Amino acid sequence: MIKSQSPNETSKYLIETSNLRKSFSLGKQTLDILKGVDIKISRGEFIALMGPSGSGKSTLLNILGLLDYPTSGTYKLIDTEVSKIGSNTLSEIRNKKIGFIFQSFNLLPKLTALENVAVPSLFAGEEKNDKALELLQSVGLQDRISHYPNELSGGQKQRVAIARALINDPELILADEPTGNLDSVSGKDVMNIIVDLHKEGRTIVMVTHDEELAKFADKVIHIKDGVVEKIL
Amino acid sequence: MNNTNIYLKLTSRALTSLRKSALRSFLTLLGIFIGSATIILVIEIGKGAQAEIEKQYSNMSVNTILINAPSAEGGVSSLGVADIPGLKEISEIKDIAPQLTGRLPITYSETTVPLNIFGTTSNTESLVNLKMRQGRFFSEEDSEKKNKLVVLGYTSAQELFGDNFGNIVGEKITINRKQYEVIGVSEYKGGSFGPVTIDDSIFVPYEVANRYILGDSGRFNINVIVNDFKDLPLAQEKIAEKLRELHNIKGNKPEDFRIRDMGSLVNSAQSSARTMAILLWTVGTIVLVVGGIGIMNVMYTSVLERTKEVGIYKALGAKESHILYMFLIEALILSVLGFLVGSVTSTILYFLVSKTGFSIIFTLYAYVLSFVFTIIIGLAFGYYPAKKAAQLNVVDALRYE
Repeated sequence: MIKSQSPNETSKYLIETSNLRKSFSLGKQTLDILKGVDIKISRGEFIALMGPSGSGKSTLLNILGLLDYPTSGTYKLIDTEVSKIGSNTLSEIRNKKIGFIFQSFNLLPKLTALENVAVPSLFAGEEKNDKALELLQSVGLQDRISHYPNELSGGQKQRVAIARALINDPELILADEPTGNLDSVSGKDVMNIIVDLHKEGRTIVMVTHDEELAKFADKVIHIKDGVVEKIL
Repeated sequence: MNNTNIYLKLTSRALTSLRKSALRSFLTLLGIFIGSATIILVIEIGKGAQAEIEKQYSNMSVNTILINAPSAEGGVSSLGVADIPGLKEISEIKDIAPQLTGRLPITYSETTVPLNIFGTTSNTESLVNLKMRQGRFFSEEDSEKKNKLVVLGYTSAQELFGDNFGNIVGEKITINRKQYEVIGVSEYKGGSFGPVTIDDSIFVPYEVANRYILGDSGRFNINVIVNDFKDLPLAQEKIAEKLRELHNIKGNKPEDFRIRDMGSLVNSAQSSARTMAILLWTVGTIVLVVGGIGIMNVMYTSVLERTKEVGIYKALGAKESHILYMFLIEALILSVLGFLVGSVTSTILYFLVSKTGFSIIFTLYAYVLSFVFTIIIGLAFGYYPAKKAAQLNVVDALRYE
């Protein structure tokens, strides 16, 4: 899919935003969350997004993940301008090119681990149960495939979520505080998997407020008051 | 892209989900199946009522005029057989027969059952269009001689002589302690003539009924057949005029007779049947709409409960059409199940009701109509919540707890 794209179409950057703004109206007041964000993320980079709470880093991640629309500005993802396209096309892009790892896991409670992992492949057209099984094995959950989310520990849930993020072999992985709800041991396991994904060549954007985790990243983008404060 | 795969899978997931919340599904079903069953029964009862009316009036030609004494307060009507020769003078009248009726216990050997006595003249055979199964109808001569003869309607013969009676011509039955000879049995006919049903009647020569059996306790009326349907209004006018003259009623004095034509009787019976049908339809539709609101309610709760789930599905690549389908298929499954339970219920009720003798007719198209109605209502009421779910904003849905 993504790897089959011809080289002359691909630019150096996987993600390019320009003057990205997001504001919410609260009654008569307008609340500006993002006030013009310009970032460029190359293919294969591991980026950590840091900033105090309320800085807009999660909103930025949601926009990068096509879960939310920017109020203005442009966003080019894999050479496509995506800030204005319709929700069905966005669904398709999310489905094939982006893998999500959420802080609260967001597993589907009525489905087993295996079914959860296979969901994105179903919407891509064919439920890939064999691949889902393989992925669960690779995150060490081969003996938990028929368990429902409420029968799994936090670390196990997050590993199911990671397997799910990989089922359609996306180029971009977005992680929002992936270890935020985990104890330190499972947090470390999860982080190791994410580092491995980076080593496989995937682009990773991770929101975190943990300096230790940020050390795994190639670059740290600091967000403050809705703008990029510094890039380290 | 293989879309069939997705929808098949989503359908089986919906089935699983409905099974897992069995109680809620069952409660939703209640409203739908009651509505569905009501529509079927309404049509079947409506058809039954219609058929009942048709049966009752099928033997009465629309050319028939019924004259009887009003059941009004005070005064004895002087309407009687004496009026008949006078009425016969009216040129529009084709035939005319008196009818004296009453219900009495009739005995044959050990069996005694209440049956209708139908005292009349010999021309009733052709007036009612009666076909004889055994023997003959009585003649004018029998009437004049006051012969104690009876002709049995089919059902009354069954009541007295058993369901599979053999040849009973020549048997004797007892009415008011007097014996009467059976000279004929009529074929099953259905319907009624004047105030009585034909098949459970016992036909007796008019003079015999008047003198020995009913006398003043009987109900008297005159049945008139006119030559042509178009003559009805004129004939009724002339009859009224004649009867006023014969009964010596002048000026504003109230008439001691009442004239009705069968055509208008049939019309009013049919229109009341229609009113009844409309009423029942309304009830059925209301029940179904209430059932539909039940679906909507359940779907709304379901959408709310699953807001986060919808968010997750959308984040993972589900399109609006997929989400819409996920919810609509649940509404559809519930509607189809509701219809199935409803049609089984109404079929059982149909058999129970028809056993009681109440007029109800099994009608296949009632099932088809009920199916179509149920599905439309289910989908229509399921659509709005489903659409709302499909259009949920992903971020908001994901944040929903």
